[in-house]
Parts: sequence; structure tokens; C-alpha cells
Amino acid sequence: MRFTVLATLVGALAAMTAPATAAWRGYISHPLGFAFAAPGELKVEKGTYRGAVAGQHDTLVYRFVDDDIEYKAVVIDMSDKANDAATLLGEAEYNFQNGKKVLMDTFGRVDRQFGRKLTIDLPNNAGRASAAFYFINGRIVSLQATVLPANGDYDTPEMGRFVDSITFFTVRAEDDAIELPVPPK
Amino acid sequence: MRRWMLAALAGAALTMAAMPAQAAWKSYINRELGFSFMAPGEVKASVGTYRGNIAGPRQTIVYRSVEDNIEYKVTVMSFIQAQAEGANILGEREYMFQDGKKVLMDTFARVEPGKESVYGRKIVVDLPDKKGRSTGAFYFTKGKLITLEATVLPANGDFASPDPGRFIDSIAFVPSRMEPGAIELETPRLE
Repeated sequence: MRFTVLATLVGALAAMTAPATAAWRGYISHPLGFAFAAPGELKVEKGTYRGAVAGQHDTLVYRFVDDDIEYKAVVIDMSDKANDAATLLGEAEYNFQNGKKVLMDTFGRVDRQFGRKLTIDLPNNAGRASAAFYFINGRIVSLQATVLPANGDYDTPEMGRFVDSITFFTVRAEDDAIELPVPPK
Repeated sequence: MRRWMLAALAGAALTMAAMPAQAAWKSYINRELGFSFMAPGEVKASVGTYRGNIAGPRQTIVYRSVEDNIEYKVTVMSFIQAQAEGANILGEREYMFQDGKKVLMDTFARVEPGKESVYGRKIVVDLPDKKGRSTGAFYFTKGKLITLEATVLPANGDFASPDPGRFIDSIAFVPSRMEPGAIELETPRLE
């Protein structure tokens, strides 16, 4: 009896020392026309994207970190070159995997949008990243999840859960999805 | 000595007679549609049809030749009014090419350097029921979906032939890369 109680206590303690994983929440941007789900605290950042064809463009990044996995929804406004959509999307996909070890490169198909899903190992054992790329309404929309070495579970289903959570039909967004902040000027 | 020479000549003649006649590769250009390519055999132009869920029903311009039981085909569709949907239309076309088939290769394709680059994909599939092996390259540029397909038919049987790759990789979109003596292709009128 005493052994059972001890074992239960040890088990409970082990469970408490496991990394705390935050709950997943739905997010939506009506102006940008997409929704997704992610865990952790949302941070809105600005960045820069460069491509030989695309030139230099500002990016809007919705970023989360949970359990040493980084989740990013990256939006690049390409409306000034939208007629080059196919090449701009191809270039973004190419740049993502260029010089890295590609583990997966396949079709992405969501809500009548064709894109691509890629998984790569980052150089210098810096982690593993999965991403999906779509071009919609003059924007490249990319969801990228990176398992950092501190997590180490490179087969985690969380990357796929994030990347596959994207929807371009607002009716498919979660009812309680949080409206993403308007892009900072 | 004379016997040896006769035997050698007869052997050479037999070998040449047994080999399938290979037509010369020629360069073709369509300035109106903005591309050039190389192919063997006699290239004929025709009009076809295509239907995709996103693309809808379209008329196609097809340039086709057959040589040594390999079919070479360039298909052009115009989407001038839907250029911003180009990525989606291209993705659908690539998906349809490989849907239900055994994919042997699916990789990035890039034609022209730097800011002139046109990105697309190259895909190799085995056709169902042992009907051959198809290599396709897919691009969407300047409002046009341009597809190159080379299919090695079972009658040829050399599925590792370098000819499909030579055809697929011969595409050029920049005028400076197009061969000066290229044969000008006519553009069939669509309805």
C-alpha cells in the first residue's frame, strides 16, 4: 500500500516537471483573410523578406513560442507584383529550403488554394522547420514551425498541427478565434 | 585483310540499319507567346481543351511532335485576366499532372537567372497501366500557363532516356537566350 502511494507521488511529480504546454487557441484576421491555431503568447513583429524576383518587402509576423517550438505566421504583401504570383511563391518556397536538407516537399491544398508544404533540417543542428506557403489576395502567407534543439523532439506532431491549421474560409475558423491585431504602421 | 575490312563495313551498315532513325533537334520560337524550346521531329500546332476546378474550361495551344516513340508537347493557356491567381492555377495544373500516378521526381524548376527568374516545377511520373513515363515542367509567366511534357511510350521502352530532360530543359523565356536561327511558330487562333 505504502509502495503504491509512493509510486503515485513520484508519477505525479514527474508529470509536474514535464514542460508546460500552453493551450492551443484559434486566431483569425478578417482583413488578411486567413485563420490558424497556435499555442503560447502572441507577439506581432515586423520583418524583411528579400528575393531576386520579389525585391525587398516588409513582412508581418505573428509569432508564438511554446515548449521550445517557434510558430510563425508570416504575411508578405506582394500586391505591387501580384501578376507574378506563381514565380513569387516559387521563389519563397525555394529560398526556404535553399542550402538545407529537405525532408519533405509536397503539395499543400487548403480551401481551393494550392501551395506547398516543406520540412527541412536547419544547418548546424539548429532544429527542424516545417512550413506551408500559399499566395492569396496579393500576399504570400506562410506558416512556419521550428522545433528548436532545446525541445529536441523533431518528430513532434505539433509542427504539422500548426501548419495544417490554416484556413482561408472564415467559416472554418474556430468560433472563439481571437482577431489578430491590425498590422502596425 | 580485305575480308576483315568487308566484315567491318557490313557490321557498321547493319548497326546503322538496325538503329531507329533519329531526327535532328531544332529550335522553335514563338515571340507572340514569349518562349522558345528545342524538339526533334516535325512540330505541329493544334488547339485543345483543358479543364480545372480553379482554371475552369480553357482552350489550349499545343505544339506537338513525336520522335522515336517519345511524344513531345508544349501546351499554352492564357489567363491574362487572372494573373494574380497564377500560383493557384499553376499548383492545380501540377497537381493534376501527378494525381493518381506514381511520382518519381517532383522538384523546383527555375528558368533564367536573377530577377528574370521564372519559378515552376519539374515532375516525372509513371503512367498507369504501363503506358509510359512522363516528364513535365510547369511555369506561369506573363499571364500564360506553359507546360512542357515528354512521354516515353512503351514502344520506345528506354524510360531513362535523356531526351525528355533535354526537351524540358530547353525552355527559354528571355529573348537573349533564344537561338537566332530558331523556327518561328505560328499561333493558332482560338475561338
